[in-house]
Amino acid sequence: MIIAEKKPIEEIIQEVEAYDRILVLGCNECVTVCEAGGKKEVEVLASVLRMNFMAQGREKTIDERTLERQCDHEYLEEIRDVIDQYDAVISLACGVGVQFAAEKYMTTPVLPGVNTVCLGANEDRGLWTERCQACGTCVLARTGGICPVSRCAKRVLNGPCGGASNGKCEISKDTDCAWQLIIDRLKALGKMEDYEKVAPVKDWSTDRAGGPRTVTREDVKI
Amino acid sequence: MSEYVSDSRLERVLKAGHLGVTSECGPPRGSDPEGIKKKGLLIKDHVDAVNVTDNQTAMTRMSSLAACVHLKLLGIEPVLQMVTRDRNRVALQSDILGAASFDIPNMLCLSGDHQSFGDCAQGQNVHDLDSMQLVQTVRYMRDEGKFLGGDDIKRPPRMFVGAAANPFADPFEIRVPRLAKKIACGAEFIQTQCIYNMDKFKEWMRRAVDRGLTEKTFIMAGMTPMKSVGMAKYMKNKVPGMDVPDDIIDRLSGVEKKKQAEEGITICVEHIQELKEVSGVAGFHIMAIEWEEKVPEIVERSGLYPRPEV
Amino acid sequence: MYVVGCMEGDCHFNEGNFRARKRVEQAAKVLDKIGIGGDRVKMYNLSSGEGPLFAQYSTEMVNLVKKMGPSPVRLARQRMAKKADAA
Repeated sequence: MIIAEKKPIEEIIQEVEAYDRILVLGCNECVTVCEAGGKKEVEVLASVLRMNFMAQGREKTIDERTLERQCDHEYLEEIRDVIDQYDAVISLACGVGVQFAAEKYMTTPVLPGVNTVCLGANEDRGLWTERCQACGTCVLARTGGICPVSRCAKRVLNGPCGGASNGKCEISKDTDCAWQLIIDRLKALGKMEDYEKVAPVKDWSTDRAGGPRTVTREDVKI
Repeated sequence: MSEYVSDSRLERVLKAGHLGVTSECGPPRGSDPEGIKKKGLLIKDHVDAVNVTDNQTAMTRMSSLAACVHLKLLGIEPVLQMVTRDRNRVALQSDILGAASFDIPNMLCLSGDHQSFGDCAQGQNVHDLDSMQLVQTVRYMRDEGKFLGGDDIKRPPRMFVGAAANPFADPFEIRVPRLAKKIACGAEFIQTQCIYNMDKFKEWMRRAVDRGLTEKTFIMAGMTPMKSVGMAKYMKNKVPGMDVPDDIIDRLSGVEKKKQAEEGITICVEHIQELKEVSGVAGFHIMAIEWEEKVPEIVERSGLYPRPEV
Repeated sequence: MYVVGCMEGDCHFNEGNFRARKRVEQAAKVLDKIGIGGDRVKMYNLSSGEGPLFAQYSTEMVNLVKKMGPSPVRLARQRMAKKADAA
């Protein structure tokens, strides 16, 4: 899922300084699961903003709402009848939701309340780690299910490089060497002979490099 | 058809069966070429070729290509080091052609240290290709005379292509399969990370010889003399992929401070003499960064001077 | 405001008091950042049988709050109310 982190409160306060009627808009999906932008976080943020401005003697209207998702038209439409009551929206959705909302409500500023970080998994309570870079051409079948594009700091496709020690990446003792993981996995699967197969030069045109990506399904369109 | 793939002296020395000798220079952190020219001239008669590093440890320096040109114009044979961290495939191929236009005859393909080690930690990294794919690319440009995109190259590059190997990085068990992979990609010579753990290196060599890899490529053993026990400890503890056994540390600390540098050079010479006898070792790559003036002494005391005529 | 939970390790809900402590710490951090004062929220641990200790903590909290004075929010509200009255 998409992993995000709350923006620092000072930054959000600055973003909304100029606005008097604000809607804090949460999302019930990814940002709820990573505890950054769900209903609970909306409540807390709204409360903090109210206290902050009240303590300065400035009363702002700060309302709360959480949508099922902000990346689908049908849910964003749910606020159409109230959007004009607000001078600005702080969306706690990921970057996708913020943009989709902004596109829909062109005359209302939609501001981000979280920093979208990566595509990842919930490894442990309070720990989310990156797993996928959305390169568009998945090679996981050849690397024992471990991605060298997202988990190797140099996205080496024929790794490891010469800098790994004790199964950790040269950039940090806390970062696993992806290629150590791949080798361990290939061993466990009894497929070490795959290690010596040279991975060819990658087609990065399906990655960010090729431009903003689109998926079209003719069989689904009506 | 010529038996040589390039005009490289290094290639001729190695193929004639002599032990090859190379050394290394780092370009300056500025645009004055005098420093690198001086270093090159200091060692030119004691080595077959001089590697020029490419923004080593991700610290921005004068480009390796430019520094190689300065050396070539002085009659010193360079080895162009190229990392994949900073350039995409367009720039890599372009710089290869740039080097070939000056008839720079050798190239070493590397991934490069992560940019977080250097002075631009907030920068992007590229890694469009990895080091093995870069070896394949140079070979393709040279042997097929084509760009990666398929078009013909007018006057293809003629370069002797190498890769780096680290017998001491983890995990040890794939270090020889990794060497095999580099050779399969077309690496014609290999320069290793500097060696202090002689036993481990000999074991790696033994496995390489067993697999017949030393018949397909020339393995040059990396050697770096220790300047002090402080340097030895630093390399042991702070440099990734480096293996410095305790007996080296002990030997250096057993000598008074001002004699440690001398001891470090002696250890280096002893190691070279020992490795000359090891099957499969085709030469030595002496890396004495900021201590280039000691290279002639090391080469002479190791019995590798004068360099052979080819 | 103070939150009271069971002794650590004795929580009826297993980890409830650990989570509560983390949330109190978070709240204190944010209150500090917006100038309200993180000391206005605290957590105490004790068992249900420790009546006198509970009273002691309550007193401690009351004294702390008295020392800090009314929260900026309350003060601001008071000022606004006065203005409205005067108008």
